[in-house]
Amino acid sequence: MTGMEEFHNGSEGAFNSEEADNIVKECIESVVGGDDYSQSQVNKWTASIVERCLTQLVKSWKPYKYIVTCAVMQKTGAGLHTANSCYWDTAMDGSCTVRWENRTMNCVVSVFAVAIA
Amino acid sequence: MDYYETEEDSALVSSDFKTAVEGVVGGNVYQHSRVKQWNSSVIEQCLSQLNKLGKPFKYIVNCIIMQKTGAGLQTACACFWDNSTDGCCAVKWENESMHCIVNVFGMAI
Repeated sequence: MTGMEEFHNGSEGAFNSEEADNIVKECIESVVGGDDYSQSQVNKWTASIVERCLTQLVKSWKPYKYIVTCAVMQKTGAGLHTANSCYWDTAMDGSCTVRWENRTMNCVVSVFAVAIA
Repeated sequence: MDYYETEEDSALVSSDFKTAVEGVVGGNVYQHSRVKQWNSSVIEQCLSQLNKLGKPFKYIVNCIIMQKTGAGLQTACACFWDNSTDGCCAVKWENESMHCIVNVFGMAI
């Protein structure tokens, strides 16, 4: 992963990436934990993961706009590289990326939080 | 979709981003040693094109490059924002050896 920085919570009102990290990990586990990659289900899985993450994040009622992206890839040895770059207010906005895998698939979820003025 | 779903983006269409991708990886074969640099270049070019617009927006550009081996890949995104001012655009590009997906999100300040 390039171009990604963990945003460290150094000031009040800044994005708490650790909390987001935990939320995302829990959501991924609950949707695909224990499953094998299935082409017929993967569409449903990615939609569930992003929906659940967003719902949990919004529950905190913080003044942020959120974007959640998810990529699920079948493990066959193929190469995959993802990168993000953000043009925003580095003091207030932040992101968090979680990489998860099991025996048959890789899952990468990114959360971006943009402060509302 | 071809356009951002916001008013601000009538000038910028997905073909501009496709041109950026084509310029960086067009004609190349997937190479593990170069993919990191390609990714950075694509993102940099997309972001600088967006900045040139000079609009009061924050931008997020996400790029995925995957080697073509027949493996399945599924991506999804969900956004909690202001539908009247914010928008996104997804660009898919491929050649014989790789897929490239670029997602661009724009949020009004």
